[in-house]
Amino acid sequence: MARKLQITVNHDLCVGNAMCETIAAKVFILNDDRQSEAKYPDADTEENILEAAENCPVSAIKVVDADTGETLFP
Amino acid sequence: MVTTVADDMFTGDAISDPYSYYGKLRDEDPVHWNELYELWVVTGHDDLVWMTRHHELFSSEFWKRDQRSPYPAIDESDMGLYQFMREFFMDWFIQHDRPVHTDQRKVVHKWFNPNSMELWRPMVRSVIKDCLDEADASGHMDVMRDFATPLPLFVIAQMMGMPHYDRKFIRSMAEKLLFIGRGETDRMQPLTEAIKEFIEYLTPLVEEKAAKPVDENDLLSVLASGEKTGALTRDEVVADAILLLLAGHETTINLICNGTLAFTQHPEQWKILKEGRLEEPDAITRATEECLRYDPPVKSIQRVASVDAELGGKLIREGDRIRWFISSANRDPKKHDNPDTFDISRWPNTHVAFGSGIHHCLGATLARLEGQEAFKALAERYDNIKVETNEFEYQPSITFRSLKTLPVSLT
Ligand code: HEM
Ligand code: SF4
Repeated sequence: MARKLQITVNHDLCVGNAMCETIAAKVFILNDDRQSEAKYPDADTEENILEAAENCPVSAIKVVDADTGETLFP
Repeated sequence: MVTTVADDMFTGDAISDPYSYYGKLRDEDPVHWNELYELWVVTGHDDLVWMTRHHELFSSEFWKRDQRSPYPAIDESDMGLYQFMREFFMDWFIQHDRPVHTDQRKVVHKWFNPNSMELWRPMVRSVIKDCLDEADASGHMDVMRDFATPLPLFVIAQMMGMPHYDRKFIRSMAEKLLFIGRGETDRMQPLTEAIKEFIEYLTPLVEEKAAKPVDENDLLSVLASGEKTGALTRDEVVADAILLLLAGHETTINLICNGTLAFTQHPEQWKILKEGRLEEPDAITRATEECLRYDPPVKSIQRVASVDAELGGKLIREGDRIRWFISSANRDPKKHDNPDTFDISRWPNTHVAFGSGIHHCLGATLARLEGQEAFKALAERYDNIKVETNEFEYQPSITFRSLKTLPVSLT
């Protein structure tokens, strides 16, 4: 089974570029301020989620292994 | 509301001190109808962010959709050139809305992400070293000519696989294309000349790259691969190559030059930078963000309303054109404490120098990297950077905040 991820988006940084939503639309949803929220962290593969995080132009997305606490990105 | 600010945005005062001119507008009438140019002028931080994040209301297809006559006016006999220029700019991916914009940006997006950009850091450092070694020999430089311009120009040309001897050509084309933000009635002449020459120069290069398998270390080759996937036409590949070459240096030039000027005018901030005494994020990172906020390289960008929409209590009609000003948004007291103070410790620094929303600058990570490395190298090498002039002359552009020269002595 895929490991559980804890995904956070830093809203001091997020500029609503929406690349995360483009790459992993099932996970990242833009809120009313058009900032990203990782609403459904289990809804896509780890690979896609990490790709979304890597392609955030301001590195606002942090991905952590929910069980071990290991940082997967950045 | 009626404001006391006159509508001519090209006066000497508005060019030399945009902070007073657009700041007054922001305080008196933040969504202002400029009667002279038939244009909405948006100057506050919150309105700017709201607008750029509502791309479904405010279209980026400015050159395609704008039906009004050019502002400021141009020579009647140049309307054909104006049309030619519009059609060229329409091909830029920055000038598209969703879904086309997303498909086109994706062709190059990941090559500009933070991890990809790290690979270029050693190259950026070596260009900086070359520039400053040369300046050290004399103890003087014109920051604009000898440092701020060659650095980003070399870097983007290198990334795009351009032969190095073509940098002069690229720069001279860029200088003519700068007329886009100016007010001369005959500005279509240099503009369209540069577009034609640029296309002529790039077409065979693109042809060559398109015929070969994609080379991941060459952005022009990556762009050309967009043709194979159907995201871009050949004309669009050529146009976007010009966009990357221009946006890739015309902007960062001003970050380095304006930032250096700010440090020379604030010796106590220079001291903090040199001593590096700030917590995570470090002094260089914070300082670069503050330079971007305090004297932003790009002053303004355009949109056109794609439907009737309300902004800051005003009704913007479908088809109305809009210009949003970063200069005043970055000094908005509702967003930033002591906005007119240059304070490199400021954090978080939520400036909008790179815009916001789906068109947020593709090259932001590259520009940050270049700015950080440039300021770091200056701080490591010099105790004192002294400006050798009392007069600061800026390009008469409403798009760029660009000094003509910045002579300094270095000790
Ligand atoms: C300090 C330097 C820079 C500043 C201040 C800056 C500013 C901006 C701004 C304000 C926008 C938003 C335009 C809009 O919303 O319509 C933008 C977009 C863009 N910038 Fe930059 N820029 C800089 C450096 C660069 C560099 C180095 C590149 C590299 C190639 C670049 C390429 C682009 C591109 C391609 C877009 C269009 C993005 C899109 O439409 O999705 N910029 N930039
Ligand atoms: S890609 Fe980054 S900046 Fe863009 S919406 Fe997602 S988190 Fe925000």
